Amino acid sequence: MLQYTVRRLVSIIPVMLIVSVIVFLIVHLTPGNPAYLILGEDSSPEAIEQLEAQLGLDKPMVMQFFDWIKNIFTGDLGQSIYSSEPVTQVIMERVGPTFSLMMMSMALTLLIAIPTAIFVVWRRNTVLDPLFTSASLVGASIPEFWFAMLLVLGLGVAIPIFPVAGYVPIAEGFFTWFYHLILPAFVLAAVEIGLIARMLRDGMLEAVNQDYTKTARAKGVKESIVLMKHVFSNALIPTTTVIGVTVAGLLGGTVIIETIFTIPGIGQLLIDSIHRRDYPVIQGVVLFIAAIYVVINLLVDLLYAFLDPRIRYD
Amino acid sequence: MQNKKIHQLLFALLLTLFLIGCGNQSATESEGNGEDGSEQQALEPVQGGTLNVAFSSDPDTIDWMSTGATATRDVGWHIFETLFALDKDYQAKPMIAEDYTVSDDQKVYTITLREGVNFHDGTTVTAEDVIASIDRWRTVSSVGTVANEYIESVKEIDERTIEITLNQVYNAFMSDLTAPKSALIIIPKEIAEEAGETPLVAEQLIGTGPYQFENWERGNEIVLTRFEDYSAREEEGWGGLTGKKVAYFDEIKFLIVKDPQVMINGLKTGIYDYAQSIPQDLYEVVESDPSIDPVTYINGYSVATPDKSEAPFDDLNVRKALNYALDKEVIAEATYGNSDFYQLDGALFDPEQTELYSDQGTDDYLAYDKEKAKELLEASDYNGEPIEIMFSNDSETYKRISQVMKQQMEEVGFTVELVPYEWATYLEKWADPANWDIVVVGWSTRFSPSELGMLIMDTQSSGWYNSERWGSLLDSWGVAESAEERQEILAEMNQTVNDELPFLKIANETKLDIKSDKIPEYDNWVGQRFWNTWKSE
Repeated sequence: MLQYTVRRLVSIIPVMLIVSVIVFLIVHLTPGNPAYLILGEDSSPEAIEQLEAQLGLDKPMVMQFFDWIKNIFTGDLGQSIYSSEPVTQVIMERVGPTFSLMMMSMALTLLIAIPTAIFVVWRRNTVLDPLFTSASLVGASIPEFWFAMLLVLGLGVAIPIFPVAGYVPIAEGFFTWFYHLILPAFVLAAVEIGLIARMLRDGMLEAVNQDYTKTARAKGVKESIVLMKHVFSNALIPTTTVIGVTVAGLLGGTVIIETIFTIPGIGQLLIDSIHRRDYPVIQGVVLFIAAIYVVINLLVDLLYAFLDPRIRYD
Repeated sequence: MQNKKIHQLLFALLLTLFLIGCGNQSATESEGNGEDGSEQQALEPVQGGTLNVAFSSDPDTIDWMSTGATATRDVGWHIFETLFALDKDYQAKPMIAEDYTVSDDQKVYTITLREGVNFHDGTTVTAEDVIASIDRWRTVSSVGTVANEYIESVKEIDERTIEITLNQVYNAFMSDLTAPKSALIIIPKEIAEEAGETPLVAEQLIGTGPYQFENWERGNEIVLTRFEDYSAREEEGWGGLTGKKVAYFDEIKFLIVKDPQVMINGLKTGIYDYAQSIPQDLYEVVESDPSIDPVTYINGYSVATPDKSEAPFDDLNVRKALNYALDKEVIAEATYGNSDFYQLDGALFDPEQTELYSDQGTDDYLAYDKEKAKELLEASDYNGEPIEIMFSNDSETYKRISQVMKQQMEEVGFTVELVPYEWATYLEKWADPANWDIVVVGWSTRFSPSELGMLIMDTQSSGWYNSERWGSLLDSWGVAESAEERQEILAEMNQTVNDELPFLKIANETKLDIKSDKIPEYDNWVGQRFWNTWKSE
């Protein structure tokens, strides 16, 4: 187990290196220049040149890249061109809302998906099953932004139960924090609920007629225990992978949801920084998101090995 | 010719209709107020509360001196004040200054300050602070750097008097001191010296305005609170950026909201009280809702600027052909739709800017004539090379103008390609004439001929315009002595643009904001100002 963990940890390094090269190239090869944006429409070429030199953008790109990489190893992601604050600080200020949103929608997803899947498998030969299949398909195919606007109009404007926008930090009260996040978290969760519930249902249905479940039933074990102990736990293994991917995928979803609900999180920061060509922040945020992705995948792999002992001996 | 007359007639008709419309509106409003007792009561100012403003763009800085950006200005003028400021008719009136005199040779300006004007940090404004602020303005402000060339010395006479000596007669000096763009804000001496050329940081945002800076969470909100020791002027009718200012709100929150639909929903449900920059397309939605009041104000105009450094538009006749090819009425209608949101006027300034507006010299603004365009184009060296119209697709407005232009230009024999870019890319591409032949863009309201960005000679913003005639007009503007003389110069400026076509004006734009009906009194003017206004309940 230890060897496996170490091996997986070491494999992170090349992944992150490749990500950083790609991010750097995409950001710097995209047309647009922060100097023009800062100085505006009436700027003179001399002023542009001076600002570029000040921002270090006049150096050869290879040098800029190595400067950046070198600093990353000392934990310094550089300084925002727009606010002159350190990038790590800028990101940390925005992490709260995004993580709140992700956690909340993940919790919603699991709370709804798992019981639904179990219930459907329990009542497997009824009309419930095709109903569930189509519902989950609808859930997974609804465009997030459309669903978000629909919910805002329905539950925010027409029947004003929930706030249509905004974010309140948890420090200002748990309830208001929770209240402001319900709608956006539910929108984010909608897609994932369908996906995970279906995955779980398929896995459970597969296990439901296996020899070991038949044996268990033949022994006289109650159906509920068969379902939970033998069927559910076996179906959990492939579902864990999907959940892992989902958590990472939520990060992408937050970009849209944060814009629609004006939540000042990582997603909005990324979009704003792209518009402003704030290179250090774009690079920092993408690297941060990549790191989260990699770490979650690592955790899933380790969890997998924990849940299924066969994988460790690969 | 016939066509032109009809257009002029139509234009005159439109203008009259517009004026009648305005007249009626104000008449009914005042009637309503007089008759309705409950409304009268609502006009009683209410002190306190938080004003939540949905603000469409997060400014780079709140230092109103260091940038001309509108987002900076609209927050900045709640915190900072200038020596002189524009009133509601765009005329310079004293603000922090008490009065001023100009010597007989027009080179020495003696400015006295009002007594006991408080800064937010508790100190009072002295001549020293003003001089340090002027020194900073001369190096960081785009307006100040121009004025700097005329300033010989700035001297303290006593605690409340300063004397500015110019090296030559420069009568645009007062308008520079007043300009609400990269403005001459008065800040404490230590801060002005400490900041130097770098924009003021949060702790340095100390001004004399009715609201003071409280907190800024970038990307989320900017919070201002009422300045209790504000030294108000007494003049009630001045409006604009001067006169008596009363801060009724305890707190103003500028909340960064990007999506107009969110703004409207937020206003309907009471999350916001005011929202900025609503697309004109949504006017009907806004108007039909009784809880939302539209707020409109002038906002510069849209232009098409040809690149005059290269063929084909280096040839004046091709530019003339372009002007004849464009039916601006059709373009404006297709772009802005509702006629409340545009105005066909060919002048360099808005009719509301009475000091700067001249209706003379704009004869060819609506000279749409396809046949003439074809003739001119045929006689020129232009041989169907593709013309690239570049615009920023962040704005629906300039996209539509470009699309209609393409169609109209192709009708007379131009070959046209549309080149849309996202704003950041667009700005970079703009700098190189090889990337474009025409740019379509909007310019916000300007307050002096030297501020007209699309006419600053030999820059990308003017499309490399180079004209002795325009240059000498700017010079004579600087030394003009009387209002009549200035009117003559303005007419001649319009005429020059009309003759040389450095850019083609499309239409004056009107901006749409929305406010909650709980804000009974709000004075529409350029940009948002939240003093002398309050929230009922």
